[in-house]
Amino acid sequence: MSNPWIKYTLFFIFLVFFQGLVVQNVNLSLYFNPMVYPLLIMILPFEFGVLATMAIALVLGLSVDAFSNGFGLHASATLLIAYMRPTILRIIRPRDGYNNLLTPTIYDMGPIWFMSYASLTLVIHHFWYFAIEMFRLDHFFFLLSKTISSVVFSLLLIFLIQYIFYRAPKK
Amino acid sequence: MRRLFQFLKRFRDFLVFTILQVFVLTLFINGKNYHSTKMTNTSSVLIGWFMEKKYEISKHLYLAEANKQLMEENARLRGLLPSSYFQLQGNTYSVNDTLMKQQFEYIPATVINSTSNKANNYFTLNRGSSNGIEIGMGVISSEGLVGIVIDVSTNYAIVMTMLSNDIKVNVKLKENNEYWLLNWDGRDKEIGQIEQVKRDVPLEIGDNVVTRGGDKQFPEGIAAGTISEIVSTDGEQTISLNIKLAVNFNAVYHVYVIKNLLKNEQIQLEERILENE
Repeated sequence: MSNPWIKYTLFFIFLVFFQGLVVQNVNLSLYFNPMVYPLLIMILPFEFGVLATMAIALVLGLSVDAFSNGFGLHASATLLIAYMRPTILRIIRPRDGYNNLLTPTIYDMGPIWFMSYASLTLVIHHFWYFAIEMFRLDHFFFLLSKTISSVVFSLLLIFLIQYIFYRAPKK
Repeated sequence: MRRLFQFLKRFRDFLVFTILQVFVLTLFINGKNYHSTKMTNTSSVLIGWFMEKKYEISKHLYLAEANKQLMEENARLRGLLPSSYFQLQGNTYSVNDTLMKQQFEYIPATVINSTSNKANNYFTLNRGSSNGIEIGMGVISSEGLVGIVIDVSTNYAIVMTMLSNDIKVNVKLKENNEYWLLNWDGRDKEIGQIEQVKRDVPLEIGDNVVTRGGDKQFPEGIAAGTISEIVSTDGEQTISLNIKLAVNFNAVYHVYVIKNLLKNEQIQLEERILENE
């Protein structure tokens, strides 16, 4: 697969279906609500423009919404992380900056960097999602615990997907 | 000058973000409303097709449980047949009943997609407007109250279940007909809430709560739940009740959509009175 955009497109389709038909249907508990599709926004190239990221986020979010009766809520949260992505990347920038030949994945950047990157992104995404979904202030601790437990499961799934789909680059 | 361009660029990003955000949040808020067009949900033909396929694959996993529920309902209905009563008096006479007129019809449907762990939970049904389902109809299962239809396409329908922030259903106490609104606060899948209950109403834990009827959607007496906890705060005029919901929303496979045959008549009559006021 030489062209990275074919890879991204296939990955887009896979994530939408995996989220809509599998992850969405695991109704274990109110605290268990993982979302894996933000991974697509995370692994876009470092120098990718904000406007283009937001366009992808809008399409991705609305596709997931179509599968889960979200009516635009997934799109809203995904737009937020697309807009915040440059800021997040700046916060956790390594000492000598980013190498543009690499992509923000586990294999290129290492599990520790990816862990902090993914958890920051997911916390913002999930917190926004659950806060808008509930839309009330009196359940703040419920909202926090729901966010934290769901982020843990999302992280697990995202790490699994990365290890399954990405092979270590040949050196 | 370069500073200005940099500022304008950053401002443009923020502006686009705000516009898109307003757009999707408007979709979200409209989506929870009954009478508004909805862009994306599982009643569309393409997504509905995928949901149907997913259901075809996974239905065998819970066939046993679904069959058990149907059998229990059959057994209960069989018990209501005239032939299952012992005749105490002599001959009974059958009359062609002109005093009763059928008010409710039930359209059977299968749940092909469902959630129960969100703040608003929806079911997708495999029946739509071609089977006579309309927006606003009530939905029940063999166990009790399920929800209200909020969107239909030709072959699919979306039900907002009792596990939603925005739903309120007229319910009453079975024993003494005191009536309230039942809603859900999003904290527990099994517990619904009734607020603003007067303190002098005689009630006990375990009392049955049923639908009130008269709201065009549900007939009277469909089980909604039982009182599981009475929450009273000092200094407040009213108390609130926690209701153990009758339906286990993790295991709903077959439902009935309720068609009220006298609905238009009721609406016309009520509108005439509203116009006079």
